Amino acid sequence: MFRFIMSRLLVVVAVALALSVVAFFLLNLAVDPAQAIAGEEADLLEIEQIRQRYGFDRPLITRYFEWFSGVLHGDFGVSYYWNKPVGELLLERLPETITLALMSLSVTILVAIPLGCAAALNPNTFIDRMALGVAVSAQAIPNFWLGLMLIILLAVIYPIFPVSGDKTLYHFVLPAIVLGASSVPPVMRLMRTGLLEVMNADYIRTARSKGYYGWRLLIRHSLRNALLPVVSVLAVQLGHKFGGSVITESVFAINGLGRLALESILGADIPTVQILVFVFAFTFLALNLLADILNAYLDPRLRT
Amino acid sequence: MTEPLLKISNLAVSFKTHYGQVEVVRDINLTVNKGETLGIVGESGSGKTMSMLAMARLLPPLAYISAGSIQLDGTDLLALNTAKFHQQISGKKIAMIFQEPMTALNPVYTIGRQLTETVMFHEKVSHATAVERAIDMLEAVKMPQPEQRMGQYPHQMSGGQRQRVMIAMALMNSPDLLIADEPTTALDVTVQDEIIELLIDLQKRFGMAMIFISHDLGVVSRISDRIIVMQKGDIVETGNTADVLTKPQHPYTKGLLECLWKLEEPRQIEKPDNMPPVISVKGIKKSYTLSGGLMRKATIIEAVKTTSFEVLAGETLAIVGESGSGKSTMAKIINGLIPADQGQVLYGDVDVTSLTDKQRARIVQPIFQDPYSTLNPNHTIGYIVSRPLRIHDIVPAAEIKQKTLDVMAQAGLTEEFYHRFPNQLSGGQRQRVAIARAIILEPKILICDEPTSALDVSIQEQILDLLCQLQKDLNMTLIIISHDMAVVGYLSDRVFVMLNGEIVERGKAEQVLKSPRTDYSKKLMASVYNVPKPQSEAGAPL
Repeated sequence: MFRFIMSRLLVVVAVALALSVVAFFLLNLAVDPAQAIAGEEADLLEIEQIRQRYGFDRPLITRYFEWFSGVLHGDFGVSYYWNKPVGELLLERLPETITLALMSLSVTILVAIPLGCAAALNPNTFIDRMALGVAVSAQAIPNFWLGLMLIILLAVIYPIFPVSGDKTLYHFVLPAIVLGASSVPPVMRLMRTGLLEVMNADYIRTARSKGYYGWRLLIRHSLRNALLPVVSVLAVQLGHKFGGSVITESVFAINGLGRLALESILGADIPTVQILVFVFAFTFLALNLLADILNAYLDPRLRT
Repeated sequence: MTEPLLKISNLAVSFKTHYGQVEVVRDINLTVNKGETLGIVGESGSGKTMSMLAMARLLPPLAYISAGSIQLDGTDLLALNTAKFHQQISGKKIAMIFQEPMTALNPVYTIGRQLTETVMFHEKVSHATAVERAIDMLEAVKMPQPEQRMGQYPHQMSGGQRQRVMIAMALMNSPDLLIADEPTTALDVTVQDEIIELLIDLQKRFGMAMIFISHDLGVVSRISDRIIVMQKGDIVETGNTADVLTKPQHPYTKGLLECLWKLEEPRQIEKPDNMPPVISVKGIKKSYTLSGGLMRKATIIEAVKTTSFEVLAGETLAIVGESGSGKSTMAKIINGLIPADQGQVLYGDVDVTSLTDKQRARIVQPIFQDPYSTLNPNHTIGYIVSRPLRIHDIVPAAEIKQKTLDVMAQAGLTEEFYHRFPNQLSGGQRQRVAIARAIILEPKILICDEPTSALDVSIQEQILDLLCQLQKDLNMTLIIISHDMAVVGYLSDRVFVMLNGEIVERGKAEQVLKSPRTDYSKKLMASVYNVPKPQSEAGAPL
C-alpha cells in the first residue's frame, strides 16, 4: 500500500511540474503583462517603464524559475490588481470555496447515492423512472436559473434562508443545493449501473445462497463493489466544485475562489490568474490521487 | 421407510417473456434421503440448474415457480415468505456450491470475513468462535495454512483453492443438504479429481445429503448413489447409479453413454508411418513480461521453454495440458500468429516468418474454442464462410457461392444456413461454420485450440467425427490442443503432454493414454472417469 501511494505521488509531482509550466507560459505569452498593468490608454513609454520596473524585459525562462521557486517557498507573487500578495488573497477566499465545495458534495452524495440504489434495486419500475426523471431535470436546468428560483422561493417568498452573502453556514445551503444538483445525474447514473451490474454478479448469488437479502445484502455485499467507479467520479465532481463555482458564487455573492478568478481575469491580473489556474489544476490532481487511494482501500485487487 | 429429507413434487419453472410464459422445467418429481447423493445429469439448457435454483430461491429475475411443491424435512418451502426463507433455510439447511469459483466469491472482502459472516448472522456466535470454526472448515477442505488464508482475498488464490473456500463456506452452518452445481467444470482435470474426492469425504463426515449437478456423466457416476437424467426440462430417467450405467432405459441416456464409450475407444485408422514432416519446430522459446509499475520489478513468465518437434503429414497430433501449461501459446506460434523469441517454425522448408499473412493462411488455418465469440454477429454465415475466397481471389466470382455451399455441405451445414446470422445458430452449428471457414482455402494443416470444450457431450462427438472425416477427405494434418483426455484419445495419433511450458512426455496416443511414463501424465490420465462399458449376458457389447 505504501509503495502504491509513493508511486502515485511521484506521478502527481511530475504532472504538477508540467502544469506550472503550462499555467505560466500560456498566460505570459497570451497577454503582455506590462500592457495589462498600464491599462489600455497608456502610451508606449509608460508601458516600457512598467516593463523595466517589474522586470518583464527579462527572458521568460528566468522569470518562470523565479516565479516557481517563489511558489515552492510559499511566495505566490503580488497581485497588481488587488495590490496584495496573492497568497493572502487565496487564504481570504479559500475557506468560502472549501465550505461550498464540501457542502455541495454532501448534497450530491445524499441525493445521488440513495436515488441510484433505489433505481437499481427496482429496475424499470416507477421508482427507476422517477429517479431518472430527477436526474435528467437536474442536468437540464441551468445553474443560475435554479439559483434564482431557489432564492425567489426559499429566500424571498418563504424567507427560510438568506438571499446572499457568506457570513454563516446558513448562507451556504442554497448555493450548495444548486451546485450539488448539477453533479447528481452523473453520480446517480453511475451508481445505478454499477449496482445493477453488481446485483447480477455471481458473488451476490453466493451471498443470497448464504441467507442475505434486502438491505443487508445491499450493505454487506454490494455497496462497496458498486461504489468503486462512483468514488472516481465524485473526485472529479469535487474538483469542478472548487474551480467551476464562478456562476454560483456570483449569484449568491459568495467571496470564494471562483469569484476571485472571474474578477482577476476581468482585471487582467496575471499573477493571481496563473496561481489560480495552477491551484485548480492541482486540486484535480490531489483529488484524483485521493480517489485512487480510497479505491485501493475499497478494492484489494488495486493495491499492487 | 424413513421420510425423505427433500421431496419435490410436480415442480415447474417458467420464464416471463414478451410472448407470454415459457416453461423451462416441467413436472419434476424427486426425493433425496438423508445422507444420500443424488446426481443430476443433463446438457446445458436441460433445466437441471434451474430446478435447483428454484429450490434455493435464487432464480433469475424473470423466472418463477409456476407449479409444484417442495418439502424439506417436513417444511413446505414455498409457503415461507422471503424473509423467513432466507433466515431459516438459506445457508442453514440448504447450502450451494457454484460452477465458477473465480467469480463466486466477493473480490473486495477477505476469505475470513466471507467465511465467518453467516455463522455470526445465523447462529449469533461470537467473532472468535466463528473464526475458530472457519479455520476448522478450511482444514477440513484441506486448505494449506488455514490461519494465513483467513486474511487473504480471493484474487490471491487459484481456482481450486477458491472452490475449496466455497465448499468450506457452504459447510460453515452444517447444512442438511448441499447442492453442488457443476463444481468442477471450471477447474483443471487434476484439480477436479481432488475436489470430487474431497466432496465424497466431507459428505460422509458431515452426514449431509448432496445433489450433484453436472453435464459429465462420468463425474456424476463417480460420486452419486442415484442418478437423474434431464433433457429439455423433463426428467427422462431415474435410477440407481449402477442401473443407469448398465441398463439405461431412455434413448437419450443411451446416447450419452455411447458417447462416453466411443470417446474412450481410440480410433483404429492405419496410417503409414514414415511420412515427411509438414511442420518442423526448431528450438522455439517464448516468454511474456508482466510489466511492473514505477517502482516494481517486471516478472518474466516463460510460456514455452526451448522446444523442438516435427509434425508429420496427415497425422493428428494432440497437445495436452492444463491451463497455463503453454499449449495455446505453442499453438499460436505454430500458426504464425505470434512470433517466437528464439528458434524457427518451418512449413516444409519455408520459415513461417518469411511468409505473408495471405500465404500463411493458405497453409495453416486455426479453429478456436469459443464459437460464440469468434463469428462476427453482423455477417451472414454465407458471407463468413466465403470471405477467405474473396480475400484470396482464387475462385472466379461467379463460382464463389457454389463453392461456399459445397464446403458448408462438407461441414454438415445445409443451404438454409447460408443467409442466417450466427446468433440464430447453436454452439455446435457455429463450430461447423468455423470449420467450414477454415477448410474453404484447403489448408494443409488445421490447428484446433480446444475445438469442443464449449460444447455439450453429444455435440462434441459430432464435431470430432466431422474433423476426422474432413482430415481423411482433404488429407489434412490436424493439431489438436486440448485439456480433455477423452477428446485426445478419440482423435489423435500422437500425444504431447505439456507442463509449465515444457513437453514432458511425447509418444503414440495409445502408449501415452494407456501407459503414461511421467508422474504428471499418470495424474492427468487418472483423472478421467471411465464409465465401464457393460457386457450383455452373452458377453457381447450392448
